[in-house]
Amino acid sequence: MYIENLTLRGFRNYSEVSLTFEPAVNVIIGSNAQGKTNIMEAIYVLAMGKSHRTHRDKEMIGWESSFAHVKGNIHRRTGPTVLDVIFTPKGKTVKVNELEQQKLSQYIGTLNVVMFAPEDLNLVKGGPAERRRFIDMEIGQASPVYLHDLASYNRVLKQRNQFLKDWQGSRRDPGALLDVLNEQLAAQAAAVVKRRFEFIQMLQGWAEEIHRGISRGKEQLEINYVPSADVSYGMDLSTLKEAYEQAFQTKRDQEMRRGTTLSGPHREDLLLYVNGRNVQTYGSQGQQRTTALSLKLAEIELIRDQIGEYPVLLLDDVLSELDNHRQSHLLNTIQGKVQTFVTTTSVDGIQHETLSKASIFEVSDGQLVEVK
Amino acid sequence: MHYPTPISRLIDGFMKLPGIGPKTASRLAFHVLDMNEEDVLSFAKSLADAKRELTYCSHCHYITDTDPCRICNDTTRDAAVVCIVQESKDVMAMEKMQEYSGLYHVLHGAISPMDGIGPEDVKIPELLKRLQNDEIQEVIIATNPTIEGEATAMYISRMVKPTGIKVTRIAHGLPVGGDLEYADEVTLSKAIEGRREL
Ligand SMILES: Nc1ncnc2c1ncn2[C@@H]1O[C@H](COP(=O)(O)OP(=O)(O)OP(=O)(O)O)[C@@H](O)[C@H]1O
Ligand SMILES: [Mg+2]
Ligand SMILES: [Zn+2]
Repeated sequence: MYIENLTLRGFRNYSEVSLTFEPAVNVIIGSNAQGKTNIMEAIYVLAMGKSHRTHRDKEMIGWESSFAHVKGNIHRRTGPTVLDVIFTPKGKTVKVNELEQQKLSQYIGTLNVVMFAPEDLNLVKGGPAERRRFIDMEIGQASPVYLHDLASYNRVLKQRNQFLKDWQGSRRDPGALLDVLNEQLAAQAAAVVKRRFEFIQMLQGWAEEIHRGISRGKEQLEINYVPSADVSYGMDLSTLKEAYEQAFQTKRDQEMRRGTTLSGPHREDLLLYVNGRNVQTYGSQGQQRTTALSLKLAEIELIRDQIGEYPVLLLDDVLSELDNHRQSHLLNTIQGKVQTFVTTTSVDGIQHETLSKASIFEVSDGQLVEVK
Repeated sequence: MHYPTPISRLIDGFMKLPGIGPKTASRLAFHVLDMNEEDVLSFAKSLADAKRELTYCSHCHYITDTDPCRICNDTTRDAAVVCIVQESKDVMAMEKMQEYSGLYHVLHGAISPMDGIGPEDVKIPELLKRLQNDEIQEVIIATNPTIEGEATAMYISRMVKPTGIKVTRIAHGLPVGGDLEYADEVTLSKAIEGRREL
């Protein structure tokens, strides 16, 4: 799929701009604070109905404007589609082919994007919460049912934690209600973890191959999901549920003492290994960057598996941070397959060959012009 | 804004109702001033009467003006089946359907540790007592399809099952409790679940 036209009105520092893009690589060049990330954000908004960097929709309304409007013509194998996202101080409106959609879930899905920005290094270097968020977002993009299960899990978790807190330090038997909460939480945990295992399995396959390519066959990436109960890939829901109930049973005294839930998807993590060593702890900057990039590129393939065509790739401020070899590997991977938007402050760090094939835009203070 | 005291009191009164903010409350209050006196008096009287004459059935805890309520008193109904609901308005919804001829038990809430509501804070002890005495053979649990409604259903099931009484849970087409934005596909996936024995 690709974006053919993009129009922004009153969006951040763009009062009005209309652009036509190539299905291939589009490079956006500009100094700091000119509006490069704003363009990426607008494309992300068109895909997801919300920003990748803020929860407050209103922030995106231009200071001189009373609304923000992002409009795009999307080409998919199935045909063209027009998408509109409009933010006003009162709320947002999303439209598919001029028809207003009541639910965001009905809107999302026409345009798929994968974004890779410097913050994504946190996927490797950051804490477990970062990696859980990555897993949850990726599965959630394709599965509203997963988001529902996850929300339910979190709700039961809150209830159970409150219950444990209420009983903290008590020597009396908490009775049947704790058994009920255990069963309820285990059932939701099973649903969440089953999807996570399946996702990791698919991600692993692609990421491994991609990582080998970027490292010229020198590095073997391995992704392990680290559960908090005796569970593994391939278990059915009832086996998973029993395992979590067992974990709650085993840690019962400890949980009653601490007043909080110690097992479950909210305490689980991904471990990333390169050539058998944990890259989170022992990896070099370059290895960590390559690992994050492999995960993101694997995501592109996963989306293709699911919907039958490639998503749009957004690379904000990352290309110039890769060495020549990684740059060319990345570009070979996407060449001719994936419409890609690349931002950079200067062309210096970027291979000549890439630039020669790409459309180039220059951005300056909310004005964007195609220069080639 | 400074209103004469009677108006402020009226506005305050309206604001105690659910879903009514200051704007709507003052609009309603000024509307009352324009109504004719007879209508105003009869409205005031029906408010007071409703509160004075209605109580809860000592049997099923449904809202009623007689005790036991009309449903509990109706000998044509099937006293072997009890449907457990969270609120009185759920009884009204079930009755509108005209498909169900058993009795009810209104819990007045659902178990929720976050809100400080345990099993004893809803009418579960009363239910268990009722099951000991009455000739009840089946309980249908119709608590809401929320996390709290489910927990309440599971808790009741655990308490009732040892007595040998049959426990069923009604099927729900529309799951609530998660993110409503995603209800559509979730509804589809959950709708497969039918009425099931617990
Ligand atoms: N709601 C808004 N209305 C108008 N201008 C805004 C709004 N929000 C942000 N800006 C402006 O947009 C500019 C930042 O744009 P952006 O984040 O796209 O920069 P950038 O080109 O990506 O820079 P960098 O290279 O530093 O990442 C800032 O000058 C900021 O003042
Ligand atoms: Mg930027
Ligand atoms: Zn009654």
